[in-house]
Amino acid sequence: MIKIEKRNDVSPSIYFLTPILAIFLTLFGGGIIFYVLGFNPIEALKFFFITPISDLYGFSELLVKATPLCLIAIGLSFCFKSNNWNIGAEGQLIFGGIVGGGVALLFYGHDGFYILPIIILSGAIGGMIFAMIPAVLKTYFNTNEILVSLMLVYVAKLLLDYLVVGPWSNPEGFNFPETRQFSEASRMPVLFDGLRIHAGIFITLITVFLSWLILYKTYLGFQIKVSGLSLKTAKYAGYKGKTMIIVVFMISGACAGLAGVGEITGPIGQLHRNISPDYGFTAIIVAFLGRLNPVGIIFASLVVALTYLGAETAQIFLQVPKYTGQVFQGMILFFLLGSDYLLFFKIKFLGLKKNEL
Amino acid sequence: MYLYYLILNFTTIKPILMNTKLKVSEISKIYPGCIANDKVSLEFKSGKIYALLGENGAGKSTLVKILSGVVKPDEGEVFLNNESIKLNSPLDAKKNNIGMVFQHFNLFETLSVFENLSIDSDKKNEDLRLSVYNILKKYNFKIDLDIPVLNLSAGQKQKVEIIRCLIRNPKVLIMDEPTSVLTEQETEDLFISLKQFSDEGILIIYITHKLKEVLSLCDEVAVMRKGKIVSVSKTKEEKIETLANKMVGENLSAIKKKNNNFKYSEEILKISNLNFRSEDPYETNLINLNFSLKKGECLGIAGISGNGQSELFQILSGEIITDYTSIKFRDKEISKLNPRERREYLMAFSPEDRISQAAVPELKIYENVALNNFKSSNFFEKGLVNEKKIKEHSKKILSNFSVNTDNVEMKSQFLSGGNLQKLIIGRELITSPELLVCFNPTWGLDVGAINYIHETLININEQGKSSILISTDNDELLRLSDRICVIYKGKLSKIMDVNEVTPEKLGILMGGGSID
Repeated sequence: MIKIEKRNDVSPSIYFLTPILAIFLTLFGGGIIFYVLGFNPIEALKFFFITPISDLYGFSELLVKATPLCLIAIGLSFCFKSNNWNIGAEGQLIFGGIVGGGVALLFYGHDGFYILPIIILSGAIGGMIFAMIPAVLKTYFNTNEILVSLMLVYVAKLLLDYLVVGPWSNPEGFNFPETRQFSEASRMPVLFDGLRIHAGIFITLITVFLSWLILYKTYLGFQIKVSGLSLKTAKYAGYKGKTMIIVVFMISGACAGLAGVGEITGPIGQLHRNISPDYGFTAIIVAFLGRLNPVGIIFASLVVALTYLGAETAQIFLQVPKYTGQVFQGMILFFLLGSDYLLFFKIKFLGLKKNEL
Repeated sequence: MYLYYLILNFTTIKPILMNTKLKVSEISKIYPGCIANDKVSLEFKSGKIYALLGENGAGKSTLVKILSGVVKPDEGEVFLNNESIKLNSPLDAKKNNIGMVFQHFNLFETLSVFENLSIDSDKKNEDLRLSVYNILKKYNFKIDLDIPVLNLSAGQKQKVEIIRCLIRNPKVLIMDEPTSVLTEQETEDLFISLKQFSDEGILIIYITHKLKEVLSLCDEVAVMRKGKIVSVSKTKEEKIETLANKMVGENLSAIKKKNNNFKYSEEILKISNLNFRSEDPYETNLINLNFSLKKGECLGIAGISGNGQSELFQILSGEIITDYTSIKFRDKEISKLNPRERREYLMAFSPEDRISQAAVPELKIYENVALNNFKSSNFFEKGLVNEKKIKEHSKKILSNFSVNTDNVEMKSQFLSGGNLQKLIIGRELITSPELLVCFNPTWGLDVGAINYIHETLININEQGKSSILISTDNDELLRLSDRICVIYKGKLSKIMDVNEVTPEKLGILMGGGSID
């Protein structure tokens, strides 16, 4: 007989250490996979995790990838902490990108310091509005936000597809599915010459700080915390549940929208079909790996960003497909959930014929 | 003439198919803090319907859980036809032909009726279908086997559960509070079926706290109180009053200690036209409640749990907002306000579920204190948490209400039940509210904590504050209330002065009877 029991108290230090354990288990699991594929596991892992950040350019690339991941994950932490399951950050990112990109195209050929802030703001609002769809449907029609937000991802993707192929496609672009390159005034300033790291990182860092402030120091944050732990208590305390659902979705959507607009005005510089390599979905892993804690999420975003870079290097040096990156992301989540299970529950092995516990 | 009688007798004798004797002997079960069953011995014979009667927490459910193999007794034995049987799991109960229909159904809502039946049957599908059809025909059940269970009414779902037992040719059928989710008509149908089963020799044990049902359905009745069997008798020899007395206990009136010296002064709360209709079959609809409360008064609301108390509490606290209901508190209409807004008007609430509703175990003590927040408390200034203020306030609660710690940073899951309840009552009372609504405030506490809470509640009345005490504990109600009424199936009895209330009267009203 095996009996599974809930542990009563989990020490906070172990709670924050298990993600690190999960990362090591992922490395170990990854090593085994490389070994089975016929590579020297140590060498392969070195290509995957060390080579990409061994020079300044690589490190800048790491930050470029971590910037949107961290931003989205921070937004998602508001939703997840209050028991709202927003799975559609990818859609909110794309929609933010569409709105921001639309505004950027509107200002095509114009110059002025005010253009970029307007684009960034409109991207955030775009994401926010897109996230409000599942929130409003949940509060007023009791729909399941997981399904609605997830399905809206495909709506956003198809809309983007239509726009870059049709009305917004570059008139001089030989029918390539992409828009014009945005004007210089619509681009995120690059921080260092020759590197792609851009000013979006400051937006992310400011958002992280604000989130920490909101989550831990404000009444709204307290309400989010209570609702996440017990909806019954939140109701009893008289918190306005419906308003809160909409607010957390708005925050989350705005963050995803910002990430989208950061991508298109930053490294990409135009709209095309693939403005995001599934940042919105991967950010879910980042949020949980970072324990929904703003500081934790910063570190988690760096780790997960590395899997994107590692996959690219591995594709070049080891000729394995770049989807290996997703395998690693999947393993991180798997090992995290696995160790969480053992963290919150203990497994007791009982004798077969024992009658009494 | 004699011959005629003989023929008459022959024709009325029904074929006894089974002859079952079930005996429980000296069964004891002790849970931490309470003795659920204390040397319970009972004998049942087939052909009769037995009632097991008792209040909530009397030990009925534990006993039937032991009979159905869900719970193992600490001591004692069960005999079926004079043979000792071991009931280590529900499977053992099935092997011994003991069938059980629980209060809450164990059906898969999205599967069809037939799929539900076939899950725990080892018969082939065709055989199973045939035997189910036979049962349907025999007992005149009208259920479509191939529609999903979620389309069935509560009564039909219960029939599916009964069929599930009948397939196994049970010798014993145990029904746990079967009518709590049924309509009047469904209840009548159920009784007809149960009598039919009984005539066929199935031994029926019927668990209930409804006195009327006992008298109309059952042949013999065993009454349990506080884990013990207090009486076994034939229902013919009983009346609602006598059963009520046995169920509630006669020694209750002795512990009244209220000094009834307050003036019936101004009216502080007036509820009119309170109606609540729920989609959820496990919730109780409230029907046209009207009552009012004076300053300094404690109104007790008695009743067996599940008769609408939880819904009433949530409507009073503002967790449920209902249409058309009027709640006037100190002449202001507050029926559309949420709990936080009602607190601004100096109302306070202590819900039944102290572990997962009144407080959150994972939160620290001072964070739990911050749950009861209103403008003048200044816990949150300009949207920011004022931790210092909350902690000072929490320290005051801990010392004023003698909670057994002074560490406000401690997680409240480490508080004992009594200390947690003191913290909650303290949190609600430290703001000196004009009205406290509490629901089973001493449920599951030890004697010391109960006395402390009782003294606190008496105290607030003496200070001219009012309280509504919804409770399933009659001792408590008689001790603390100035006026008492009973809630039964979502309806409120007339409100009586505590001096004219006897435990007997309470028992009758709680079981659905009427007095005068």
